[in-house]
Amino acid sequence: MQDGRIAIPSVETGGLDGQRSGHFGHCDVFTLVDVEGGDIRQVTTIPNPGHVQGGCMVPVNLLAGHKVNALIVGGIGMRPLMGFRQVGIDVYYDAIRPEIRPVVEDLIAGKLPIIGDHQACGGGGVGG
Amino acid sequence: MLKLLLVSPDKDSLSELASALEKEDNVNLSRAGSGARALEIILDTVVDLVVTDEKLGDMTGIEFARRLLSVNPMINCASVSHLSSEDFHEASEGLGLLAQLPIRPGEGEAKDLLQRLKNLKQAWR
Repeated sequence: MQDGRIAIPSVETGGLDGQRSGHFGHCDVFTLVDVEGGDIRQVTTIPNPGHVQGGCMVPVNLLAGHKVNALIVGGIGMRPLMGFRQVGIDVYYDAIRPEIRPVVEDLIAGKLPIIGDHQACGGGGVGG
Repeated sequence: MLKLLLVSPDKDSLSELASALEKEDNVNLSRAGSGARALEIILDTVVDLVVTDEKLGDMTGIEFARRLLSVNPMINCASVSHLSSEDFHEASEGLGLLAQLPIRPGEGEAKDLLQRLKNLKQAWR
């Protein structure tokens, strides 16, 4: 991904050198990384409004409203995943690395896979 | 105006809930007798909440919630279930259900659902 805005669910204050949140809906903030020509131009954060039962679409609409193009998750439920697809945000998957920077760099380099349904919670496999 | 769709093949199982919801000024209520019919309705009509019975004749309420995601994941869904809260959570994990309802939900559940919808709308602002 050479151009666009990447969102990463993050713990505490997030940031490029911060840590990823293992649960998409329960993150503290979303770290937003703006990429242009393959270079990172700007890094900002936005707070997560908080998770309520059935409120899966709140972060979907939040990130869509902030012009996010791609999301990197370590786990996500099927409903928000389908929501992101509906609003045109690509969801990428890395369930191993806790740091934000290396997964962002891999996404820019085209090395991260798009998440499959079987990797989402409620999608028939292990995840969430 | 909130648009709600109640889904059940049994005319009585959601009747108390329906009566309570129909008392509200800002609620528009419609009904479907099967999961397939409800999904047809949703293709043409935007609703704020679908409430399903535990068994819909052609599928379970949880299966309906799963199929709803492919039609419109933005639509909220609540389902009647006799399962314990833990078992319901596990059975519906990832489907983002708004609430689990007891068998024959009534006025209390109607008020709770409407409050949950109100809370969601406020969170989206």
